[in-house]
Amino acid sequence: MSSRRSRSSQSDVSTEITDAQITDIISKLQQLIPELDARRSDKVSASKVLQETCNYIKSLHREVDDLSDRLSQLLATTDSNSAQAAIIRSLLL
Amino acid sequence: MESLSFSLHSNLHSLTLLQHSNQNKKRRKITHQNSLALTPWTSHTQHRLYSSNLLLALRRNSNPTASLQVRAAADRVLAATAKGRTRWSRAILANPFGRWRKQRQRHHKKVKNCSANKCMKKTTPDIRRRLPAVQKKARVLGKLIPGCRKVSFPKLLEEAGDYISALEMQVRAMKALADLLPTGAPPPDPIGLS
Repeated sequence: MSSRRSRSSQSDVSTEITDAQITDIISKLQQLIPELDARRSDKVSASKVLQETCNYIKSLHREVDDLSDRLSQLLATTDSNSAQAAIIRSLLL
Repeated sequence: MESLSFSLHSNLHSLTLLQHSNQNKKRRKITHQNSLALTPWTSHTQHRLYSSNLLLALRRNSNPTASLQVRAAADRVLAATAKGRTRWSRAILANPFGRWRKQRQRHHKKVKNCSANKCMKKTTPDIRRRLPAVQKKARVLGKLIPGCRKVSFPKLLEEAGDYISALEMQVRAMKALADLLPTGAPPPDPIGLS
């Protein structure tokens, strides 16, 4: 597995990309981050974009953690309720 | 309605095949110039597909009350919905517990930080020379996204964009599921199906 990743990494290394292209990707990324999107008109440094990207991913991970805890508790109480499960399935499928 | 259910059934079937294929560790080598357009994470179709697959996975789970199992299932279904078209989704499908097990083993992988650092230096010497802060934050970002510790800087940014959109959809879908479960009479339109 690590050897495959190394090869993939090598192929990535050989790809040439200009600073302009990196700037373009960072501007797209900037639009995805709520903290940065609110002040899109302002110039934000690449370092700031990366920092906010890391913070945002961490907050999304925390939300998934909390929702996983919540779902596991709810499933424990509703697992035996087949009628409830049928309602959920009909809504989702 | 029949065509819709048929479409969903077809999607489920293809997803099952994909998961089976990934279990055999066969990988398709796909190169995309713009990975941001790979999966439309904001569409209702992806939302419903993810929700139904997640519910099926949780029902199939022998011990659904374990929070770790729920998290692992949520991530696996998310990666399957992405159809392995991105690095982060392939990394999750290759590792049964995804980032959760990686977090546990983090202290064993300190050595790899050096190689990641070297890789970043080789890849973007100009950026390293002019923007050391960017390099440091890029390394942190690479640890947060599955499978992206050693990728090039532009590739890392593309993966980050797709991963964020996928996580946002995951949060929306899990919230909708959690809202459905406790009430005897679910709201008429909890996840925007109509």
